[in-house]
Order: sequence, then structure tokens, then C-alpha cells
Amino acid sequence: MQNRTDKIKEIAKRLLDEEKVDLVLGHRKGTIPLKNTPGFAYNKDEVEELLWDGNCRSNLATFLPRLKDKRIAVVAQGCVSRNIVGLIIEKQIPRENLYIIGVPCIGMLDPNILREKVSGEILETKEDETKIILKGSGFEISVEREDVLRNNCKLCLHRNPTLFDELVVDEVREQNVSGRYDDITALENKTSEERTTYFDELLSSCIRCYACRDACPLCYCPVCFVDESNPQWCGKSTDPRDVLNYHILRAFHCAGRCTECGACEDACPMDIKVRMLTRKIEKDIQENYDGYEAGMSLDAEPPLATFKPNDPQSFIK
Amino acid sequence: MKNLLEYVGLEPGRIHFSWISSAEGEKFARVAKEVYESVNSLGPVKRLVKERVEVA
Amino acid sequence: MAEMILEKQDMAAFTAEINKGYELFGPVKNGKQLEIARVNEVSDMVLEGYRNTDMSPKNLFFPQSEEMMAFKKYGDDANIYKDSLKEIAPRVIFGIRPCDAKAFSVLDQIFKNDQFIDNYWFSKREKSVMIGLGCNMPCSTCFCTSVNSHPFGETGLDVLATDLDNRYLLKTLTKKGEDILSGVSCLKVANDDDLSSAKSLSEKAVSEISGNLELKNIDKKSVLDLFNADFWERVQEPCLNCGTCTYVCPTCHCFDIQDEVFKDEGIRVRNWDSCMSWLFTIHGSGHNPRPGKKERVRQRFMHKFKYIPIKRDGEIGCVGCGRCIRMCPVNIDVREVVKLMNS
Repeated sequence: MQNRTDKIKEIAKRLLDEEKVDLVLGHRKGTIPLKNTPGFAYNKDEVEELLWDGNCRSNLATFLPRLKDKRIAVVAQGCVSRNIVGLIIEKQIPRENLYIIGVPCIGMLDPNILREKVSGEILETKEDETKIILKGSGFEISVEREDVLRNNCKLCLHRNPTLFDELVVDEVREQNVSGRYDDITALENKTSEERTTYFDELLSSCIRCYACRDACPLCYCPVCFVDESNPQWCGKSTDPRDVLNYHILRAFHCAGRCTECGACEDACPMDIKVRMLTRKIEKDIQENYDGYEAGMSLDAEPPLATFKPNDPQSFIK
Repeated sequence: MKNLLEYVGLEPGRIHFSWISSAEGEKFARVAKEVYESVNSLGPVKRLVKERVEVA
Repeated sequence: MAEMILEKQDMAAFTAEINKGYELFGPVKNGKQLEIARVNEVSDMVLEGYRNTDMSPKNLFFPQSEEMMAFKKYGDDANIYKDSLKEIAPRVIFGIRPCDAKAFSVLDQIFKNDQFIDNYWFSKREKSVMIGLGCNMPCSTCFCTSVNSHPFGETGLDVLATDLDNRYLLKTLTKKGEDILSGVSCLKVANDDDLSSAKSLSEKAVSEISGNLELKNIDKKSVLDLFNADFWERVQEPCLNCGTCTYVCPTCHCFDIQDEVFKDEGIRVRNWDSCMSWLFTIHGSGHNPRPGKKERVRQRFMHKFKYIPIKRDGEIGCVGCGRCIRMCPVNIDVREVVKLMNS
């Protein structure tokens, strides 16, 4: 972790010194344990605050469309680099204004899993490549990193950036993941009624703060459909049908574009597993479009944004 | 979209997509009949239908 | 004012006695979330090792979506809005934290002025007896002592309970509090030892609350100086403009009113709204007086730490519960923002 941090700082300083970029967008330590905050570094002092550890869960690509008139160096692991590729393909950010500091990633921690490991409030954490140490009043325990990774990081197939100008360390070995969609398949195999109950329960605690949308790099529409008032597409109360409507449409708008970065679930204050919707769609995309995965190359043609005569059409009578 | 709606609990057989040219009268009649029979046999839709809003 | 002792083992008997005519509310688990809600079994209440609820309990008095009025399209009373205020049964709310109770006393001032009383809020407030539970173990994100609140604060409560390990010290604070406890047979009069251990718990809790925030300069600075300060540009940078901070906050109280129509009838609903949202301020003309993230982020902090103090005689629109610090997806820490505002 430290070598990644050091190298990020070194590159960031060099780029600012040489006036190649206006700012470096990375992560810096948050004010509470297990939480980092996006770091906007314009000078050397601010670069000193940048770091890399298991809490860099915010997807920095989310901030890029709003900053597209600036020359930015952005710190990106596999998923974030794939979102950057997607944003370039969708013409939301110009490639020439970006310097991508690629970070081969070994996965981010799941704070909820870590909190369940202890009975009190976690006050301090330390980590290295294999172990996490949690400290609080009256306890200090060590856990294996791979046991406490986020679900999307456990299932990740692209830890290395797909687009970068410079890597901070050598590429890491990609994971062999089996049964990536086992939970989705299990749910598909249930009855309609069971799935109705499942999603009603899943979304029952939603407070419609839209953090899942706002944390997502795919959601850059100037006005979101839930915010349209004329016509109003979606009711604004906590009525379960309106809540479901929002989640279905949000997920569908991510079809063929989602990189499984997990920012939506990380942002959710109610800890709702919203990826149960987006992953179903990604599974369908892979099955129907030759194993397509978003953000792997600047030359890729997003399946739902292009037409091919041999596109699957079994759903059409 | 069809897959997703069925995944969140809409019954299979309620959503149909078709592409029918204005010259394909026979196909139109056949598909309309199929859709009617399929949806009619499922009865009134419950899922995703908002009647009176449910609030406190 | 009376100070009494309730043995924890008598909790079931105690709640049964006060339950007559009252519904019992307390901290219970709903899935993974801890919330203050109707208690079915006394043993369901999570009172040991409990810090605070995940969401603020403001939904007890101000549900996220609440029916206000109903209307019909046809008939004698067509197109006439009829109040659909629902009378609730009297409630005893056990285990609410002093910060949240304080927040509701701030909201009492806001939901009432010299011309208007918000009955949706007050009808529920008036029917509720609040038995607060002092905080023996404040969280690292708590800063109540900096914002006119206290881990054993009494504002907004009818009874303050202090957890003395195997028993509670109950201190009555209002007539409502005295009434609810009078005649409850399992209570004993507290002795001097109980009172002194409660005092030392309170002192210990205060000493454990880290980081004392200064707000004096915010008071001295003019609205425009704060409004035009340079630091907002930096504060807003990581903000996603989601509504998490406003929805978890016990004092955020803005709402939007919507008509929900079905066939020939409809209801008027009020829903929580958030100043973080673009839609919150957009005008019919298309003009938006808070067009960007900066204006929206600034609004939330200015409202809590400048506008409310000006309008409400120095009262602060924040009670230091720390929920926004814990829940913010990008760790915008209100304590850091207040430091900037005060500098």
C-alpha cells in the first residue's frame, strides 16, 4: 500500500511541477476510520495528503464530467479506468485533458463486514497487503484482507487498469472467480412471487437520497428522470412502487456500462444491495453480447448504443 | 428490459415485443391474438401498478 | 422533579404499568437498521451497547411521506381538500438520545410561528412522552457539547434515564414525565449514591467527547462575509449532492408537497426534501437560484450555523449527533466545515 501511495505522490508532484495538469484527483484520509475522501490536489502540500489504501471506494471518474475544462491527473484502479474509458466513448470527457495514474488494485475493504467483526466502535485501523488490524476501546484484532473485501472486489476480474498513462506498481495477477453470478442465477430460478417479495424487502428501507445515483460515474445526465417535473415520470413519495420504479430505471440506464465498481452500494446509507439489479443486467449483457464487458477498450462499441444485424432478438415475436 | 422486469417479479407472458410492418396484416392479427390470450390468462396486473399511493 | 430508580430486571413490569393507554416505542432492530419504533416485546429493545439509531427518529413526528389532505373529483364535496390528519394513540418513547430530543425542541420552534401551527408535527409531539436515555458512551463522531447539547441534556425530554449498569435512574423533568411515572409500583426513590454515580457518568461522557468546536466567530461574522467566503469552493469539491446528510439529520425538516391522484380521487402528500437537490430550488421559469453544488452545500451549513441562530435567538440548527459524518459517502465532515466557518 505504501509503495502505491509514494508513487502516486511522486507522479502527482512531477505533473504539477511540469505544469502538465491543473490538479490531481486522488484519495485522501477521511476524518473517521475506514473512510477516505476524494482528494483534489492543486499544489505540493495537497499532494502530500494523497494516499492509497483499502478505503478508496469512491469512484473518482464520477467527478470528471464536471471538471472537463481542466487538465486533470486522475488516480484509477481497474474499475475506475474502465469508467473513464466509458466516459470517453460517450464523449463526456476529452482524453487529451486526462493523465491517468493507474493503480493495480488488490481490492477495497467492506466497512460493514469489518464492523461486524468487533463489538465496539472501531477507532483505528492499519493495513498491509494481507492483513487488517482493527483497534477500538478494549479490543485489537487482525483479520485477513481477502475475508473482508467488498463483494464486488471479491468478484473482480479486472484489477489492473485498462487505460493509463503510467502505472504506480507492476500489474497484479487477475483473480480466478468462479460462480460470479451464482446469487443472480439462484434468484432467477425462483418464482415471480418470490422475486417480488425479495425486491420489496430489498428496497423497503430506501430513503430516496439518490446517493447510489450520485456516486455513480454513469449518471451524468444534466437532469435525472426522477427530477423531471414536467412530465413527472416518477412519484416522489416512499410509495414502494415509486421506489422500485426509480431503482429499475436507474439500473437499466447502466446496462452495458456498469463496471461493478461498487460505488452505489458504498454510498448507500441504508446498506441496500442495489447491485442485485445492475449485476443481473450485466449478466444478461454478457450472455447476449458475446461476453461484452464495459470499458475494456476505447475502440469497443457499446452493445446498447450500436445496432448490428445479428443482435439477439429472441424477445421479439 | 423484458428480462429485468421479469426478474423483479413481473409475470412472464405479460410483456411482448414485436416488429410488424404495415403490410403484415395477418401477422398483426396473429400477434394481437397471442398477446391478448397470454395477458388475459394472467388476469389483472398487480406488480408495478400504483393505485392509491401508500404513505404514512 | 423526582428522581427514581428502576431495576433493569423490572423493565417488563415497568413498561406494562406505563403501557396502559400508551403505545411503547423504543430502539429496536429493523433488519440491520436500529430505529426507534413500536416495541412488541420489551426484550426486543436494544438498550445495551446501544449508541444511537442509524436514522434520526424524526420520522416519528415527521414521516418521510405523510398524507395531509384528500380530495375527490365528483360529488357534493368535489374539489375540496379535506384534512386527513390522523390522530395517533398516546406514546411513550423510551431510549431516545438527548441530542435527538434537543433537535425536536429546535423543530418545535420551526413548526410553529405567531400565525401558524403545523398540526401534523404537533399532534404527534403532544401525544408523546419522551423518556430519554443519557449517553454513557458517546461515539467518536459526537460533538453535542459544542452545539448547546449534552450527552445527558434534558431539553425536549419529559424524563431523563441514566444507565447505572443494572438499573436506571429516572429523573422527571416535566408534568408529563411526573404523570407517567406516578403510581408506578416498581420504582424506588433514588439515593445519594445513585445520584453521584449518574453525575460522574455524565462528567465522564463529556470528557470523552473529543474536539471542542468554537462557534463564536461565526456569530460575529456577517452573513455576507460567510456567504462569500472562499472556502466553499473547496468544501463542495467532493460533494455528490445526494440527500444523505439531510435525510439522516434530526433537524433537517424541509419538505415538498405533491398531489398523488388516482382515478377520481387524490391525496396531498408531503415528502422530505433536500437542499442538496437541484430540484429543490428550480423555478418555473427555468432559473435556479442555487445552480451548482457550491450554492447547495453552502446553504446547508449556513442554514444550520448562521440563519437559524439569527432567526431563533442564537439556537443552533445542529445538535452534534454526528450522523452526517458517519453516513456521508465522501466524508464531508461538518466539524471541519464549522472550523472553516469559524476561522
